[in-house]
Amino acid sequence: MFSGVPVLKGIDFTLRHGEVHALLGGNGSGKSTTMKIISGAYPLDAGQLFLEGEPIHLDSPRSAHERGIYMVPQEPHVFPHLSVLENLGMGLPFAAAELRRRALPLLEEMGFDVQLEEQSAFLSIAQQQLLEIVRGLLRNARVLIFDEPTSALTFREANHLFERMRRLTEQGIGIVFISHRLGEVMDIADRISVLRDGRFVLSEARANLTPHDLVRAMLPPDAVTGKEEAKREPRASRSDRPVLEVENLSSEAFSDVSFSLHPGEVLGLAGLVGSGRTELCEAIVGLDPHASGSVRLAGRQLPHRTPSLCQRHGLVYVPEDRHAHGIFLGLPSLYTISASVLDRLGRWLLNERRELELGDRFVRNLNIKLNSLRQPAGTLSGGNQQKVVLAKALAVAPRIVILDEPTRGIDASARQDVYRLIRRLTDEGVGVLLISSELEEIVNLSDRVLVMRHGRVVQELTGEAIRLDRITEASFGLAPGGESS
Amino acid sequence: MNLFRFLRSWEFFLVVLLVVEIAVLGLINPVFFNAENLLYATLDFTHILFAALPLTLVIITAGIDISGVSIMGLASITLGLAWVAGINIFVALAIALLVGILAGAFNGFFVAKTDVNPLVITLGTLFMFAGLAQGMPALLDKLGFKAYGSAGLAAYQYEGITGLPDEFIALTEGTVGIVPYPLIAVLAFTVLLSLLLHKTRFGRSLYLIGVNPKAAEYSGVPIRKILVWAYVLSGFGAALAGTMLTSYFTSARADLGGDALLPIITAVVLGGADILGGSGTVWGTLLAGLILGFLRQGLLALGVTSDLIQVVVGALLIGAMATKQLVHVFGEYRLNRKALFRRNGR
Amino acid sequence: MRSFLRSREALVGMLFVALLVVTGLFNPNFFKPESIVEIFNASLTLVLITLGEMFVILTRGIDVSVGAVAGLAAVVLGTTLNLGWPLGLAVAAALATGMLAGAVNAVGITLLRVPPIIMTLGTLGIYRGLMRVITGGSWIENLPQNIKEPNLWNLLGIPFFVWVGLALLALTMVLTLRVRVARYFYAVGDNEDGAYLLGLPVRWTQFAAYTLAGLFAAFAAVVFTSQIGFVSMNAADGFELKAIAANVLGGVSLTGGVGTPLGAAIGALFLTAVHSMLIFLGVPGIWDNAFAGAILLAVVYVDYRVRTALELQQRQARIRGDLSGGEPS
Repeated sequence: MFSGVPVLKGIDFTLRHGEVHALLGGNGSGKSTTMKIISGAYPLDAGQLFLEGEPIHLDSPRSAHERGIYMVPQEPHVFPHLSVLENLGMGLPFAAAELRRRALPLLEEMGFDVQLEEQSAFLSIAQQQLLEIVRGLLRNARVLIFDEPTSALTFREANHLFERMRRLTEQGIGIVFISHRLGEVMDIADRISVLRDGRFVLSEARANLTPHDLVRAMLPPDAVTGKEEAKREPRASRSDRPVLEVENLSSEAFSDVSFSLHPGEVLGLAGLVGSGRTELCEAIVGLDPHASGSVRLAGRQLPHRTPSLCQRHGLVYVPEDRHAHGIFLGLPSLYTISASVLDRLGRWLLNERRELELGDRFVRNLNIKLNSLRQPAGTLSGGNQQKVVLAKALAVAPRIVILDEPTRGIDASARQDVYRLIRRLTDEGVGVLLISSELEEIVNLSDRVLVMRHGRVVQELTGEAIRLDRITEASFGLAPGGESS
Repeated sequence: MNLFRFLRSWEFFLVVLLVVEIAVLGLINPVFFNAENLLYATLDFTHILFAALPLTLVIITAGIDISGVSIMGLASITLGLAWVAGINIFVALAIALLVGILAGAFNGFFVAKTDVNPLVITLGTLFMFAGLAQGMPALLDKLGFKAYGSAGLAAYQYEGITGLPDEFIALTEGTVGIVPYPLIAVLAFTVLLSLLLHKTRFGRSLYLIGVNPKAAEYSGVPIRKILVWAYVLSGFGAALAGTMLTSYFTSARADLGGDALLPIITAVVLGGADILGGSGTVWGTLLAGLILGFLRQGLLALGVTSDLIQVVVGALLIGAMATKQLVHVFGEYRLNRKALFRRNGR
Repeated sequence: MRSFLRSREALVGMLFVALLVVTGLFNPNFFKPESIVEIFNASLTLVLITLGEMFVILTRGIDVSVGAVAGLAAVVLGTTLNLGWPLGLAVAAALATGMLAGAVNAVGITLLRVPPIIMTLGTLGIYRGLMRVITGGSWIENLPQNIKEPNLWNLLGIPFFVWVGLALLALTMVLTLRVRVARYFYAVGDNEDGAYLLGLPVRWTQFAAYTLAGLFAAFAAVVFTSQIGFVSMNAADGFELKAIAANVLGGVSLTGGVGTPLGAAIGALFLTAVHSMLIFLGVPGIWDNAFAGAILLAVVYVDYRVRTALELQQRQARIRGDLSGGEPS
């Protein structure tokens, strides 16, 4: 329960010795919260925890560690100014020599090639994740929880991890494996449980399940049809002049990217985590001072870009991490909606009436569920928060909208609202650049797809060629028809 | 703000506190029930308010400015030196205020253009401005200007630059009815800043920057410009405080700021501003400043030594923050339990 | 060795030496060993307070009451001595005062969750006020000889207290660099949430930091009381700000997790030396503050430029790591 909003509504969960129990669920379903309670990071509001049949009370991660419960988090917790060795050993009772002895074999197994004395700030995301995993392995806990461990790993690294997990289970250690990747889950799990909206809707031995069962369990009943609704007919005419042209845009994370976007078109940008998509969008709107190359909006060159300049020319960017970059949590929701258009709300003084009208308009149009516009944005659900951030972008009346993972962490019905919104925008002639890691989304929504890999555009797909397998292959750099995940 | 929301706000709590305080003081010593005395007593602490009010804006942006006390001295000594150099006193006043603006701009640019902690930056300028204020008279004197005023070096070291013209002193002596000029100025300043804070793009941007600077940047808010102006206002307020004290004490000194730092920050924090940014109002700061000022005056009048007063103010600051925290935690707890029971009852 | 040479400590150390040399060239009187030793001696108080403050800053906190704590401890020392307490006991009382004062800060910050700057600003007022309340406002003079004696002791021409200071510095260096539990200060400052989730005792670490700050402030109080011979109500006034400046100068970042006792000590030496050097350069002491402030600003500005360049490097390394790490085999 957070500020009176229930997140988990009556969970029963059992983990057996030596079992790999996978936990599936969309974002906001409560799987991370459940595990944080089990690992001692959050307190229980109601209910009981039993370890080996004995009731236990956990009030901190330390008490969980003492009982042999350890969670390998999704977001790596790194101490950037300390060395890798110190990072690995922090919280463990080993002296440096002993730590080295234990850690080196594990690092080698995981294929983690790194200097132990190096400062951790230099580690890549994938390496940081490996660090967290090794931390977990060093602890040989009785219960190990892996929260989305493979999101930044390659095949080889993920397979190494699974091998190690198998070996741990042979020692009787119980493993909880949280993921949203059906393929992995079907591979490694003994039991699978699906969480939706704070409750378990499925809990079965893997042998009895098919991927289709899992998908069905994760979505609310009406969403299946929703998927069809989101599928669109490709837009035929592309004879309009492009509304956005990017030429040879380069920076640290990407190089030599060129493409154009036409009014009313949805251009999907696919690729693995780390392929440079977000960095590309940040550079387009002027958040990267080191980028080179040119950006033209409706034919007009914009050399020295800033977000506010781009906004004035009708280009808005809805960032991936709404909490960090999009929303003002402690302030009234209305303030977030109007944040980009303050200069249009009055000459010298802010016109409160106009601001409220603006807010009301978007609450209606986007179906935002709140009690009052003065309500702090932090009290809204994930889906509604995302809608507020979208409202902020739309208030500018843009001609181009860049959406970076717009449906991450929101429930299924809000997701449908977003798809409908994208549809409406393109009907009105707005160009949409869509980044998403949900390949289904890309396939269903895009008129054209660009696949990025290692910072370059490696593939452009149109019409019939927009398919899950083609996109996936290109993301991994495989020839069509080659080995796919 | 509608009536219901006002009644549950921190500002209302402060109003009640102020009324209670005056009542208590008055009961102990009826001198306080005299409105004229009460208003006259504010002269001793309006300088705190001049500095604290715009500091609220800076703190809302999640920044801080501790150089105000040095800017006070710098403005004061600039005023004195300019006048000794033969410049008309009111022009000298303008120059002193300009110095405050420039000092604030220096702070602002440093904060806006680097990611260095504002505490560190204004710590550096605290030293630098104080040093400038102290060194300028000596330097000018070496260069041949009679910087120490008519009374000479010895008197300067004891009293500062004295002999300021009556028209200038009158600024802090006059009243409109029973309300002293400085208090009127403070009230006008509060009204102006409040308007700025709640009704303009600039003010709204301050809150946005304080709550989430990255989101503000992504939303197109001109962060650098806004920050510079916030610190400029803070510097200006400090200069106002310094020149006001110069008139009140009839002497210009480099060390005018003294130990005003604690009361100034206490006023802002007690006034409801979160030190971590994102909330606060100038009316709250004003009320808190009045509460603290009257508290000090009252305790002094009761014979309490000023040392003990420092202890009280310190304890008050800590107590206010701790209470705020506990109330917040308790509120969360209650919300959660209510929701829990609501669910189970279904 | 190479990383040391590139470190902030080396930079400030070299700057310090460079300034000494320049001053000496300007005024050869400066190069007499007595002058240099005198600088070390005069800086002791600030060095000790700075070391204590370092622990707090490492954990990403701040303590603006350390000067007041030192003053309070000095008052306790002076009062007990004048009451006839034996030297050892009086010093113990002063140290205990420092620790208690620091612990009060710690309780407010870790338990009541009062933001550090507010808590220590409040205790600054309280402790300064308490000083005057205890003594009635008057200075503590006519201290017994036993407290002033150690100031006169010499070993190899170096005053007793300088040896004590060096010993404490060495101790702190060993502590922070070698003792595992002491690394918690760095971890908590670098990433508090991560430290908590890894099971580190975050609150106890913060508690220790503020208490240590108080203890070191009390050490400083003993030293300057012995050196000066009396306790004034303005004792250690403003030292907290100088201590923070010294730490920042010496590379202890206010964002936590970075810095060493050596750096902090060099920073403190630097700031104190500015005063002496200016005198030898013929600049009136009245410009001390101006120079101290300007140096601080210059150092943090340069640090900012260096840091952003370094971060760019790190980002590029990370991207490259991602690129090579992401290769399927």
